[in-house]
Amino acid sequence: MDTQWPRFMVFQQEGPDQPVVHNGTVHAPDAELAMLNARDVFVRRPEAVALWVVPADAIFTQTQEELAQAAETQLAAGPLASYYVFGKFSQQAQCRQVGQVQASSPLAAVHAAIATFADKQPLWWWVFPASAVLKNESTEAEPMFSAARYKTFKDQAEYPVVTMMRALRNQKANHKDTENTK
Amino acid sequence: MERAHQYALSGYLIALADDELVLGHRDSEWTGHAPILEEDIAFANLALDEIGHAKLWYELAADLLGEDKTTYPDRLVYFRDAAQFRNLQLVELPKGDWAYSTLRQYLFDAFEALRLEALSQSSYTPLADVAARIRTEELYHLRHSQAWVLRLGLGTQESGGRMQAALDALWPYAQALAAPLPGERDLHAAGIVPSSADLFERWSGEVTQFLAKSGLQANLQSPVSDFDRRTHSPHLPALIEDLQSVARLDPEATW
Repeated sequence: MDTQWPRFMVFQQEGPDQPVVHNGTVHAPDAELAMLNARDVFVRRPEAVALWVVPADAIFTQTQEELAQAAETQLAAGPLASYYVFGKFSQQAQCRQVGQVQASSPLAAVHAAIATFADKQPLWWWVFPASAVLKNESTEAEPMFSAARYKTFKDQAEYPVVTMMRALRNQKANHKDTENTK
Repeated sequence: MERAHQYALSGYLIALADDELVLGHRDSEWTGHAPILEEDIAFANLALDEIGHAKLWYELAADLLGEDKTTYPDRLVYFRDAAQFRNLQLVELPKGDWAYSTLRQYLFDAFEALRLEALSQSSYTPLADVAARIRTEELYHLRHSQAWVLRLGLGTQESGGRMQAALDALWPYAQALAAPLPGERDLHAAGIVPSSADLFERWSGEVTQFLAKSGLQANLQSPVSDFDRRTHSPHLPALIEDLQSVARLDPEATW
């Protein structure tokens, strides 16, 4: 039996002028706990101004290859909904926000994105309905994000353990040499 | 501030700091043992935050006593004997199961939120400033512990049962939150700190309501543990020994 909790994708915005980018994944039993987990796992160090969590299975993706191979798709008409559009522009880059479209299905949203953002050519499109996103409330931004701003922490490199151990070993070796020459 | 108040406030702050330090240590015992990875990280963060708050309070006490605030916190933490600690028994009890630690964190966080709100209005500005800064983090702690109390309380028969058992065990100890801290009466009269009894009344109302919403019943007739912060369970000396063992191996070592 799979006892693992569902996966949520975590998106984060580092500054007011920065795009929202995909940052990783958390497991959680529901969106509220996914939000708390995302805060603890991802935004305690780097700065953030916004945090989103989205159930992983609410995200529809299409690579360039998948789009090229797909036969002419007949898009069913239905009620329009708002979709967020993200794109991965290189193998190394994080998936980042491209914009928002209105569409009647996830696949239609990808096609709408291609039409709307013709100048963008991501390797991989991600779309998800705006209704599937849980965003942090702006009123809770301070408790969620301030730790990264003023909490001092020591980087591992600030502890000169390696240098100290080397000095100790040298000292010991020199001591032995002196003993031997006596 | 009057000299007598300075001295009284330093004792008050050291008691607050001891609560944070000891609870932070208990939280840190979950590192590597929490039921899931995300909560392992969350509890490590909580532990770091609580210990960080302890440091802020110890430093403020150092200022009041004219001590060197770069060395005074370490002296208090690593070179006092267990009998000199002024924390509540509530925070020194062993971490128990996940339900127990989560519920204790909730009971403590809910009280802290009220106390910090009041302290951030203190007539002594350095105290008000530190309280406001700590409060920001405590609001997040409270959100985290509330989320878990609600879900475990209403979750399965087992999770609800464990939470109720934890509440039955912790509730008598939590009553000691009503007791005045060292020096509190004079400091309260001077508008420097709130009355713990007043805060407790608000806390009690809020907490019993939230617990009921979470399917948990606080036994209002339960016996009350010892109020005195000078009285400790045998669990504290063991915790302090663990906490101090490395520092006491070589008191002159620099870190």
